[in-house]
Amino acid sequence: MERLSQLAINDEGFIFDPYTGNSYATNRTGILILNELKNGKSEEEIAKILSEKFNVEHSAALKDVTDFIEQLRSLSLL
Amino acid sequence: MKKMCIGVTGINAVDNPGPGIGVIRGLKECEDLNVEIVGLAYDAMEPGIYMDWLVDKSFILPYPSTSEEEYISRLLYIKDRTGIDMIIPTLDAEIPLFIKSKEKLESYGIKTFIPSQEQFNLRSKAKLEETSSKIGIKTPKSKTVTSYDELTKAVEELGLPVMVKGAFYKAYRAYTHQEAVGFFRKIVAEWGYPVIVQQVVSGEEMNVVGVGDGEGGDLGLVAIKKLWITSLGKIWTGVTVKNGKLFELAKTFIEKTLWRGAFELECIVDHDDIYLIEVNPRFPAWIYFATGVGINLPSRMVKRAFGIDFDNSTEYEAGKLYVRYTYDIVTDLSLFQKITMKGESL
Repeated sequence: MERLSQLAINDEGFIFDPYTGNSYATNRTGILILNELKNGKSEEEIAKILSEKFNVEHSAALKDVTDFIEQLRSLSLL
Repeated sequence: MKKMCIGVTGINAVDNPGPGIGVIRGLKECEDLNVEIVGLAYDAMEPGIYMDWLVDKSFILPYPSTSEEEYISRLLYIKDRTGIDMIIPTLDAEIPLFIKSKEKLESYGIKTFIPSQEQFNLRSKAKLEETSSKIGIKTPKSKTVTSYDELTKAVEELGLPVMVKGAFYKAYRAYTHQEAVGFFRKIVAEWGYPVIVQQVVSGEEMNVVGVGDGEGGDLGLVAIKKLWITSLGKIWTGVTVKNGKLFELAKTFIEKTLWRGAFELECIVDHDDIYLIEVNPRFPAWIYFATGVGINLPSRMVKRAFGIDFDNSTEYEAGKLYVRYTYDIVTDLSLFQKITMKGESL
């Protein structure tokens, strides 16, 4: 979580990791998930926010959140 | 402030650039220093000679490999002609000569700010593993080899892939034994023995530039990651990073070796593990990057050498981008003539 809080994320989805110098690009959903993770929200809570905001099934939103978190782990950002 | 005359080597701003021009830009941009720059070149074609907005006068030096006496007497001649107060050597091959002649130069009023012979030896590629283990820093396993048989044995022990490196210059990654032999022969033909075979460690390659004060402290540190390198392996774009563990390693290195002068640490960062892969005993060619983010290490070094106070903080922003570019100068042939015929621009 410490690494996550150090990430610089702009409104357009450009992410810079000051620890490694790596940069990434994500979409609107990714930005939302990242910001909510930074706020300390759980996967379930983030999925709820997503399903309300984008009007999608909770199960589909949860799958997206889980996939995204898995990607963050594989990039050692979580 | 009284004008200082500083000599800087490595003004060969070519496709494999020396650090000199970056050092000079730092000195010229420092508002509270008043410097005149004497460019010290080894060839009349070194671009720095012609960059008159940075280099005020230029002189040709004999190669460090010729003779110590000839080299130093040339420097003393330059002292007579220009009143040079300090020299910043920036090329690996000349540092040992400056270390050896440090006191003599000092007695003629030429300051340097360089490591001792002992410190210089500690960081040699052949000794790095031993030094690192003594001071508690991780480094990849390496073997120093001087024959085909030793090379084969080293590759077997370390396992492929391996890095095959010259003692001063060049480093290649070999994925097969045949490749390792090819690189070994290439390095020996160009640079001679010994050759260092080093274990490959995976992770992000990052570099730290700094200046040690000779008492265990630093005059500032900047860490970067190279984003794009040329076919010669030289940085073309990079980004500043802030990595606490990297700084810890740099500080340990300075504290334990009491390093004096400029250095560049080449490291591999693999999550929480950091490996030191090389220590360069001088400023890197990208030194202007540090100046550009507010850590003007060349000017801090000069101030330290002259006992001038300065702020040695390491506060810079992560995510600053460095972009190198090429440039063209069109000038008169007269300067080239002077340099070629007289060995100096005066």
